Amino acid sequence: MQSRRQFILRGAKLVAAGAAAVSAGPTVFVRGAGAADKQLKILQWAHFVPAYDKWFDPWAKEWGAKRGVEVSVDHVGFADVVPRATAEVAAQSGHDIHMFIGLGSAFEEHVIDLKEVSGTLEKKYGKPVELATRSTYNPFTKKQFALSDMWVPDPGNYHKKIWSDIGMPSGPSTYEDLVKAAPEIRKVAPQMQIPIGIGLSQDIDSNMAVRNMLWCHGGSIQDKDGNVVLNSPETLKAVEYAKRLYSVGMTQAVLSWNAASNNQAFNAQETAYILNSISAYRTAQDNKLPVLENYFFVPALKGPTGIQLASEHVMSGYVVWKFSKSQDIAKEFLVALVDASRESMLASKLYNFPSFYGAAADPNTPMAKRAESGAAWIAKQCNADPFGSQPGDKLSLLARALPWSTNLGYPGFANPAEGEIFDTYVITDMFAKAATGTLSPKDAVTEANNRCKEIFTKWRKKGMVAGGSKDR
Amino acid sequence: MPSPDVALARPRATSVETLSRRDLRLGKLLLAPALAYIFLLVAIPFLLAVFLSLTNSSAGSLQFSFVGLQNFRAVVASPVFLRALRNTFIFTVVSQVLVIGLGNVLARALMKPFRGKLLVRFLILLPWAAPISLATLGWLWIFDSTFSVINWLLKVVGWLGPGQWYYWLGDPVLGMIAIITVHVWRMLPFSTVIILAGLTSIPKEVHEAADIDGAGPVAKTFQITIPMMLPILTVAVLFGAVFTFTDMSVVYLLTRGGPYNSTHVLASLAFQDGVLGGDVGRGAAVAIFLVPLLVVMAVVMLRISRRAEVV
Repeated sequence: MQSRRQFILRGAKLVAAGAAAVSAGPTVFVRGAGAADKQLKILQWAHFVPAYDKWFDPWAKEWGAKRGVEVSVDHVGFADVVPRATAEVAAQSGHDIHMFIGLGSAFEEHVIDLKEVSGTLEKKYGKPVELATRSTYNPFTKKQFALSDMWVPDPGNYHKKIWSDIGMPSGPSTYEDLVKAAPEIRKVAPQMQIPIGIGLSQDIDSNMAVRNMLWCHGGSIQDKDGNVVLNSPETLKAVEYAKRLYSVGMTQAVLSWNAASNNQAFNAQETAYILNSISAYRTAQDNKLPVLENYFFVPALKGPTGIQLASEHVMSGYVVWKFSKSQDIAKEFLVALVDASRESMLASKLYNFPSFYGAAADPNTPMAKRAESGAAWIAKQCNADPFGSQPGDKLSLLARALPWSTNLGYPGFANPAEGEIFDTYVITDMFAKAATGTLSPKDAVTEANNRCKEIFTKWRKKGMVAGGSKDR
Repeated sequence: MPSPDVALARPRATSVETLSRRDLRLGKLLLAPALAYIFLLVAIPFLLAVFLSLTNSSAGSLQFSFVGLQNFRAVVASPVFLRALRNTFIFTVVSQVLVIGLGNVLARALMKPFRGKLLVRFLILLPWAAPISLATLGWLWIFDSTFSVINWLLKVVGWLGPGQWYYWLGDPVLGMIAIITVHVWRMLPFSTVIILAGLTSIPKEVHEAADIDGAGPVAKTFQITIPMMLPILTVAVLFGAVFTFTDMSVVYLLTRGGPYNSTHVLASLAFQDGVLGGDVGRGAAVAIFLVPLLVVMAVVMLRISRRAEVV
């Protein structure tokens, strides 16, 4: 017979042994059972058009199966892409390939140089679109830290009936049009809560929208050489414009929006204009929403300077971690992904646009004509939307989006400082504070400029960002 | 020759010693998992945070250099940090007052016999059991600036006229009210259960004796109930305050610190700066800023609690 003490001691040993067996067991079992010679682990976002993931996952696995590679794909929400990368870098383990949807430049030190992959693809398809290069290459360190297979245009979405009722059936074409239209929209559609639905909140869509406003008024965070130039008369004009627009056409709702809010507001016909990709439109189509017949698009708006620019809505940036044990397979996979650009665009219902236009070219097109051929194929899809747009050419403007689309960091390259400014909402807060009168436009610009300089200085000290001699 | 008593005493003493040694060994063994857990998952991360706050560490890099107190100087000069610091105190104090006050009301109601008491207890406990991310998504719709259920209700009952609307998450003050509301909803079950346990542990005879002595409800509350519940109340307040001071989930899921960084608390700001923004050193400085205060608070409250126990 055992005493209580003996029972507890033996029990504790048994529990400890059991815990060890449980923790070791599955690992041993999985490793034994998996038994694939080569593995490739991919982490990417949960696509805004869910149909894309339904194509991507089996396609990636099938690609692997043909080469004896076990491919696994994990998806995370777009907001978790950066935190997940941070965790994997800290642990120095995780996935082999990590997809960023914005700027992955802060992780440059921990990713391999993809110059070779980029070179291979350029030989096959010609150069990628300029904004993809500017989002994935650091000219200061001369490193191709990421590879982009796709980007997403960011047009204006407008409510045709409302804009027709105020005498502008083709929607707005300049930022000033928004200010003029807002009071008229209030008159013809008093039930509509927010005539102009441009977010000024701490979210990804607002981050892009305020940059569009800034650039089209001639301002920018950095110049082409990486000097901080936010504190400028042009920025002040942009911020003053936002204040005017907010007072006539917006409510405090836009200060709280998340990435889905403008989609929801437009689809519920609570706003007559938003800046967004076609994902909200596809949702309206899938759910046959009443807004559908009035759902139309316009290109980026022009500012008083005549500049017409919009930030890409999403820019894919695939990186391969230095700690990956499957770097060569990962490189092969990225080439294959670009090869599949046509399938990718169709699987995303024309949301994804190829970063290498040549990859969408007709087969056997001569090298010199591939980019042109690819552009023609893209235009053909947009001019006759295979996913049921009425009229069929509703999305045709997307095929002409490249000239008015640019990268985060314009007129320079994307870099970690721009990334940190983006992720800590320095620019959206500058616009929001001025728009609501929390700070005067001048003070809002000064505050944001100081923070930008602080962030740029920090990254320059780390040797990852250029400029500094002409900071304002 | 030793007496038989002495001869018998020796082995007994040895046996007691052995038992005592065994008890000590067993005690150490049983404590080891808890100590290892605290050391690995609390002490090491905390020391690492202190260490990182003194460096220029960034999210995408494992290399860093010491910058002394530079991160602390930078955050103290930041208006966003000062706002977050103020919000942290408002968030903690207001929500704790409400949680303890409302918990007291609920606990007293639950002490009375009534039909369906079990069901009510279950319903009260639900917010504590629900995953916060899921629950906050529900609240996100309730407070949504465009589609708020509260606003529609207020419209229907005539509180809000034409063109009137509350932008719960788009206004700094309403945003804080929304955050505190969700946090109170979330913490209320815990405080109710704690207070209920405290109230039921007071012997009936004490109250009966007070009644015989002619004590009124106020005198009984301040001279019997509160003093006798002080240890348990202190633990509830301490737990609630530390939990609230260090919580970022409600803020992050509801407002993400907006509008224009006006509803951040220190924990959510640390996440934004350190993880999303990639400035780990700055994030760590924000995160550990209140540690000295929390330590002092914990020590003071635990002492109060111990003294109350002795009394």
